[in-house]
Amino acid sequence: MIKSVIRIVRLYFFQAWFSYRALFAWSTPFNYFASKMGFPFFSMLMFIFMGKYVGLNDPIYIVIGNILLLPSLNGVSGMSMTIGGEKQFGALSYLLGSPAPRAPLFMGRAFFHILDGFITVLVALPLAILIFHLDMSQTNFLLVGFCILLISVTATGMGFIMGTVTLVSRDGWMITSTLQIAFYVVIGVNFPVDLLPPVLRAFSSSLPMTRGIQAARLALAGAGWSEIAPLVLGEILIGAIYILIGYATFRFTERASMKSGMLDNL
Amino acid sequence: MGSFAIETRSLSKTFVTKRGFWRRKTKSTLAVEDISFNVNQGELFGILGPNGAGKTTTVKMLSTLLLPTSGSISILGLDILKNTLEIRKRIGFTFGGARGLYGRLSARDNLRYFAELYGLAPEITRKRIVELLEMVGLTGREEDRVETFSSGMQQRLHLARALLHNPELIFLDEPTVGIDPVGARELRAAIKTLIARGKTILLTTHYMAEAEELCDRIAIVNKGNIVAMDTPSSLKVRIGRETVIEVDVDQQNLESLKIQLVKLDHLSKVEYSAEKLINRISIHTSEPENILRLLGPFLQAKSIQGLEVRNQTMEDVYVAIIQGEKK
Amino acid sequence: MILDQLRLVSRQVNVQLRMRTFNWYTVALFFLQPAVFSAVGMILSRAAGNQAPDLVYTVIGGGIMGMWSGLVFSSTYDIRSDRREGTLELIVGSPTSLRKVEAIRTFSNVMAGLVSLLAAFLAAVFIFKYPLQQVNVPGVLISLILLLFGLWSLGVFLANFLVWSRLSGSLVDFLELPVAVLCGFMYPIQILPNWMQGISAIFPIRWALQAMQASLQGSEINGIIWQKWGLALAISLVFWSISLWLDRKVHNMIRLTGELSSI
Repeated sequence: MIKSVIRIVRLYFFQAWFSYRALFAWSTPFNYFASKMGFPFFSMLMFIFMGKYVGLNDPIYIVIGNILLLPSLNGVSGMSMTIGGEKQFGALSYLLGSPAPRAPLFMGRAFFHILDGFITVLVALPLAILIFHLDMSQTNFLLVGFCILLISVTATGMGFIMGTVTLVSRDGWMITSTLQIAFYVVIGVNFPVDLLPPVLRAFSSSLPMTRGIQAARLALAGAGWSEIAPLVLGEILIGAIYILIGYATFRFTERASMKSGMLDNL
Repeated sequence: MGSFAIETRSLSKTFVTKRGFWRRKTKSTLAVEDISFNVNQGELFGILGPNGAGKTTTVKMLSTLLLPTSGSISILGLDILKNTLEIRKRIGFTFGGARGLYGRLSARDNLRYFAELYGLAPEITRKRIVELLEMVGLTGREEDRVETFSSGMQQRLHLARALLHNPELIFLDEPTVGIDPVGARELRAAIKTLIARGKTILLTTHYMAEAEELCDRIAIVNKGNIVAMDTPSSLKVRIGRETVIEVDVDQQNLESLKIQLVKLDHLSKVEYSAEKLINRISIHTSEPENILRLLGPFLQAKSIQGLEVRNQTMEDVYVAIIQGEKK
Repeated sequence: MILDQLRLVSRQVNVQLRMRTFNWYTVALFFLQPAVFSAVGMILSRAAGNQAPDLVYTVIGGGIMGMWSGLVFSSTYDIRSDRREGTLELIVGSPTSLRKVEAIRTFSNVMAGLVSLLAAFLAAVFIFKYPLQQVNVPGVLISLILLLFGLWSLGVFLANFLVWSRLSGSLVDFLELPVAVLCGFMYPIQILPNWMQGISAIFPIRWALQAMQASLQGSEINGIIWQKWGLALAISLVFWSISLWLDRKVHNMIRLTGELSSI
């Protein structure tokens, strides 16, 4: 019993570290920082100036939103690349052929992405204080930390699903990128979701991160647990649903591919 | 410069690679070291050597894709540094492996594209493509996407591409690598046709039989140096015009044969190897008849399981030279 | 002679288009991404309490964004795939200079970007009812030609870095958004802090764009417009001459390092 638990835990971390490294090891530190901080920074700058032009002189709403969006780069795009990348490197057949238990194998891929996404936000917040004079005097730090971690986890739920799509379809990666861009509009990054047209607002409320970002904003401004509890619980629920769906589609795809050989001939 | 197709003097190439981001570490690799050779017009010159010996680097320098660190190269009487463009118009080259073609394009479109880069007029291109596909045996497949081709077919298409502008000098870097025996034979036939048409060819390979079959002269390179250069037959003479006798015997007879072999003094090399229950003795000798006489009793007693008598091949020469290098 | 050149151009474009089968990326780059930026602009405008968004910057600006991103992406894609497929080496080894091949490719990439601009323009006119009667058509057209010329000169300039090495190529990816921020695609350049405006002065497209935005808003062709056109043209030509100089350097550099075949 203990032995098999240890085995699963070891497998989990082993998987986690290796799949993370396989994705990032080839890129230079320059690439890493550019994609991690550079792109988000400049797109945020773009939005800030767009806001300034139309008369929104306080950029803080946009700054916070874009910082809280950072875990999605790991959770959605990174995860999707990690899972989809197995196919590209031809490693998937070996993985599927191995007798390793599936859940830790699968979940292991998320661990360092969650950690990385979480840490990125922790690095970005002090930068925001420095550059944009973000006021954190009222902030409920524990709650903010919890919300950020929560966003990092729920984002991977979306990543699991997109990863499986990437396994099955050549265009999966494009769909992921499109979704990543759409986040600028639909999950309350640059403006409150209340401003969205009704259809998009409904879509927005069915996505992970929307509520988490709202909750984190409130906690940053000093809200307590009781104020953000409904948002946090909603986020947990949505996140769990996405992770479950992601796992189920992965298993389904795995089984289907044994019959059709679909995963091999892409 | 004279009438050589290729003339190189003290050619060297060092690659400098930088690693790391903050503290850049510099690492130099000497790929080619002080190579000098000439290739005559109309000759088929082979460069033979193990992987990483500097063959490809040499070919890339000769075909204007890499600049030498030191030394000089003259191609068709033109200086590689001053007349790069003129040289490019008059040479063709292929590099082994699957890279170098647009997979999503048909064979014909690939050729048309490169014909354009070599400035061929459309009517000439059309004629050349038909001729060349015929020559490399791809007629009928011209409209198929190249990604559907086997590696042998891709390799032959590479050759066709290199020949589009009717170059005088052709560089073929490992043209038969990764091709099945039949495909390789077809490619060799195509190369022979080219020589018959008066082209000069420089070929690199690590297949000995190929080099022996095709080349007028061979340079054996190892670790960036030329260790031997001559015609295939002279290279064989160099390590002695010997016969190789390979005998398979069981353990019991091995010992008694060994004792008798030690007494003979005309053997240049005796090697023992064992595989499963069979022991093989390879004897290199200038007097094969003496060995055969010695083997007579063993043959009569049916204690010899296998016997082969053959002349030395390029492979023996190659192994002898490369191993000599190691020592 | 000219016919030969034209044939080279057509063959080049043909290969380019067929290598890049129509896919999601094209759609996303030329239409979706600009649409998202435009949407953010419009909703921000509403959040700020404005009655209607500014169509020149918000909608047509999105099209400019699409043109630029499309150019950067397709240029990097072309060279990277040639490097990966090993054909870059064959092109360099041919008597046609890589500079010419790159110039042709970049040109077709710039022209392809017009799709994005056209879509944005049609959206502005038909969906958002942009008043066409005020537009100074000759002014817009001349500005557009200079904008295309500026994009072309920038693209060819950046191509040198892509050919040079993979590391310098990643620099090009990194420049995409900063240039978009600096050149005022989606807002007037005056919004930027002075030091940023100073930097953006080195980009020819900034000047062409300013002239185009003014012409779209009905400005007549006056001294200021002429000045911007002049700057756009002059700076583009400067980029072209730097590219010519750089091209020779890079050609020698890659033959020293052997970077061409590294994947």
